[in-house]
Amino acid sequence: MGVEQLVRAAQRGDPAAMDALVRALAPYVGRICGAIALERGDDAMQETFIAVLRNVRALREPAALHGWVRRIAVREAVRAASGTATPFPAGVEPPPLDPVDVASALDVRTVLASLAPEHRAVLVLRDIDGLSEREVAGVLGVPEGTVKSRLHRARAAFARRWGQ
Amino acid sequence: MTVPPTPGMPPGPPGHGGRGWPVASLDPIGRARVLAATVPSAAWTEGVLDAPYDATWAWVSDLERSVPLFDTDVRRLRVTSRSDEADALRLRVVATSFGIPVPFDVRLEDGFCLMRAVARIFLVVMAAVPEDGGQRTRFFHMEAVPLPGTASVRRRLQRAVEADFANLSRIAADL
Repeated sequence: MGVEQLVRAAQRGDPAAMDALVRALAPYVGRICGAIALERGDDAMQETFIAVLRNVRALREPAALHGWVRRIAVREAVRAASGTATPFPAGVEPPPLDPVDVASALDVRTVLASLAPEHRAVLVLRDIDGLSEREVAGVLGVPEGTVKSRLHRARAAFARRWGQ
Repeated sequence: MTVPPTPGMPPGPPGHGGRGWPVASLDPIGRARVLAATVPSAAWTEGVLDAPYDATWAWVSDLERSVPLFDTDVRRLRVTSRSDEADALRLRVVATSFGIPVPFDVRLEDGFCLMRAVARIFLVVMAAVPEDGGQRTRFFHMEAVPLPGTASVRRRLQRAVEADFANLSRIAADL
């Protein structure tokens, strides 16, 4: 059964189709929630699918599924991560890396954890999902300039951490 | 961890390719919780069984033997057909409840079982994950009448799933 058929069946309340839709979307939602919500990614993923299935009847055009789910996943992931991040305060440089910490510095998670959830969301949508800056702004409901500045800071954090 | 592309979804990301990025996952109990939160009238219970995961799921997966033992509303269950899919076993079973034979379509995976009445009037979901390194089993059991306007049956279903779970707990002690 294709994704469009799954959506139609899920909209009719077929539990098997609802579960199949979850399985079909899980890899994509897992990427978004994992990169934004980090250790709370699994919780964010669960909440994303609850929101998706509760509201799937409102999705008029199944072809719009991907963008619709993306928006919900980003919202739930940022919500789950809020208050859990330990970003470096604005204007404060991250501490220099200890030479013995090189292995962990290469861990993407280490860098992501140093960013605020909103910055991680921009990075994920732009560099993982391949959206344009304008599209990212649309998903997050922020001005394009905000996306540019968040993206710059997020990428700068990676560059600093990786010594580029 | 590199994530394979999802059918019907855009291909993986450019640039970093997603390699090394943290990826969240939804385990079988997470999937069951999602259904419990979204299917009308869903009644569910979740707890830890004092039995190893492998033994517990192997026992539960033998539906002909296990279901009539822990679900007192089911007198008999027979598997009438089975087919292998890439990631699951698909079964057609007939459960006899209160003297009435009810056919179900079943999707059975490691740690997850979804039984939907062919007439779509009843749904059973069982899910399990290892706990304490596999020495115990977190188990989730749900029943529902997945039709609009059925919220009033939820209390009756809640009593049923709690009774089933109590039976499972007793049986698990001997696994």
